[in-house]
Amino acid sequence: MPIPQQFGRGDRMGRGPYEKSGLIRETSLHPHETRTERFDIIFPPNIFDMNVEVELWYMPYGTKEVDGFLWNRADKTLSVSKTGK
Amino acid sequence: MRLKLILFLFFIALPLAVFAMQGGERKKANTIDELVKMYDISSCKVCHRDIYEQWERSLHARSIYGPETTGRTAATFWTTITHGLMEWEHSGVKKPEDVRIEHLMPCARCHLPQLEDATDAVAQEIVRNIYALVKEGDENAAKTLQKLNINCLICHNRNAVIHKWVDGEPEPNVIYGTKKGAHPDAMFTAMKPSPIMGEAILCGQCHGLGPMFEFDNPTQCATLYGSYLWSYVAKGGSKTCQQCHMHKSGLGHNMQSYRSPEMAKMALDFNVEAIAYYWRDGTRVIPQATVEVKMKNKAGHVIPDG
Ligand code: HEC
Ligand code: HEC
Ligand code: HEC
Ligand code: HEC
Ligand code: HEC
Repeated sequence: MPIPQQFGRGDRMGRGPYEKSGLIRETSLHPHETRTERFDIIFPPNIFDMNVEVELWYMPYGTKEVDGFLWNRADKTLSVSKTGK
Repeated sequence: MRLKLILFLFFIALPLAVFAMQGGERKKANTIDELVKMYDISSCKVCHRDIYEQWERSLHARSIYGPETTGRTAATFWTTITHGLMEWEHSGVKKPEDVRIEHLMPCARCHLPQLEDATDAVAQEIVRNIYALVKEGDENAAKTLQKLNINCLICHNRNAVIHKWVDGEPEPNVIYGTKKGAHPDAMFTAMKPSPIMGEAILCGQCHGLGPMFEFDNPTQCATLYGSYLWSYVAKGGSKTCQQCHMHKSGLGHNMQSYRSPEMAKMALDFNVEAIAYYWRDGTRVIPQATVEVKMKNKAGHVIPDG
């Protein structure tokens, strides 16, 4: 999410439109841009199969439950070998 | 004697009627109801029912209230007054009763541009309704606030002309669209082409570039038109807002965003790749998975705006 500066000064983010003026950091996804997010997940001890559920939520304000929008999801089942060198 | 009196009335009545017609557009609204009446669209509904019903579902139809389920815009107006205006030393606002039109325009410039055509009494009435809604959850206040919105007459008349030195002021009885000719409405009797009805700037005038420097205390809300110009067009994008939001989406006047499944589907290419393997790190052998999520923005601006 873009991080707007409070009153165009300093290091604080402003939240309301009445105090935002400028940007300290820009993290939104730009048009035509492809962003890759990579997650490395270690298998817990003695577990060889894993089900990964990926969900992409748009959250305008607050939490998923209150005002969230599920855009995409994907399910992947992954396994590692039980024997080998 | 009787004849004389009638003539007398006739004489003053006539100049008054002419004056009212010439000054009619300029006379400011003193109540919310008067402002609603100045931009009355009940006749449009009769002949353009489908478009009216599409528009009714859009956020333009509740532009100072916000989404039906959250009323977030009205709530943020409250925060602006309570934690902005009332806390700032030089704003001239110490209590809600001090709020005037000039204090609301930094938001209304885009959320309710016709507020410029109203007096401070209307600013006060809006503030009272906002407080009643936020403090008491007053249903009537919610209804009243939703009567004020960006309706047919804002896009097809008041805000249909931007370059007034080039194109002139929007005319009072004209519906701006793409055609020229007679229009069967009782008040809006003519149609004229607006040079910008199909252009991004029509939407851009309210969808924000960055801080609004024309105000004594700048605000910054939507900056989406900025990202359309400097990111989408800059990278070769050539669609207009209308092409994506009204035509490609199939939503017409129900202009929507992430809340609607149609727009959510158009927003991204979403692709997930995953593999599992053993990672060797010195003396350890670690079973792990790598999940790569690729997202490509297919909209005409950044996601999200804010
Ligand atoms: C440059 C025009 C502009 C100004 C000035 C402006 N807004 Fe906005 N605002 C918009 C637009 C357009 C949207 C919706 C589109 C978006 O979010 O990209 C919006 C969205 C919002 C939302 C989010 C509504 C939701 O969907 O939940 C809130 C809250 C809000 N504005 C409050 C305010 C307040 C309060 C002010 C004044 C302090 C203000 N805005 C000033 C144009 C503006
Ligand atoms: C946010 C701005 C906006 C609002 C509000 C709006 N319109 Fe439009 N309208 C447009 C634009 C832009 C076009 C041209 C779309 C295109 O490029 O094809 C249009 C086109 C039209 C057309 C001609 C094309 C068609 O679809 O038949 C009619 C009729 C129309 N509008 C009626 C209305 C009515 C009635 C209302 C109110 C219920 C309304 N509009 C509200 C922006 C608006
Ligand atoms: C009595 C019926 C009637 C009423 C009332 C009416 N319209 Fe229309 N309107 C029409 C018809 C018919 C057309 C198409 C005219 C044509 O194509 O020659 C039209 C066309 C339009 C267009 C398209 C113009 C263009 O150039 O593409 C817009 C925009 C529009 N009306 C808006 C409105 C608005 C806003 C109102 C309310 C103030 C309204 N209309 C009230 C019948 C009506
Ligand atoms: C008169 C100013 C104005 C014009 C012109 C205008 N908009 Fe808006 N638009 C707004 C405001 C203000 C909001 C947010 C209302 C609120 O607070 O919820 C909004 C909301 C939206 C939303 C929903 C955003 C969300 O967060 O869900 C979309 C999509 C949108 N407008 C597209 C357009 C398009 C496309 C056009 C041009 C055809 C246009 N607008 C013209 C002021 C305007
Ligand atoms: C190439 C197609 C495309 C073009 C061009 C386009 N949009 Fe969008 N727009 C989308 C899609 C898809 C979404 C849904 C993603 C989202 O909500 O972030 C969206 C979302 C929005 C939103 C909600 C932003 C938010 O906070 O998430 C607004 C407001 C909006 N558009 C207005 C406009 C305006 C105004 C223009 C022209 C200046 C425009 N759009 C041009 C496709 C487009």
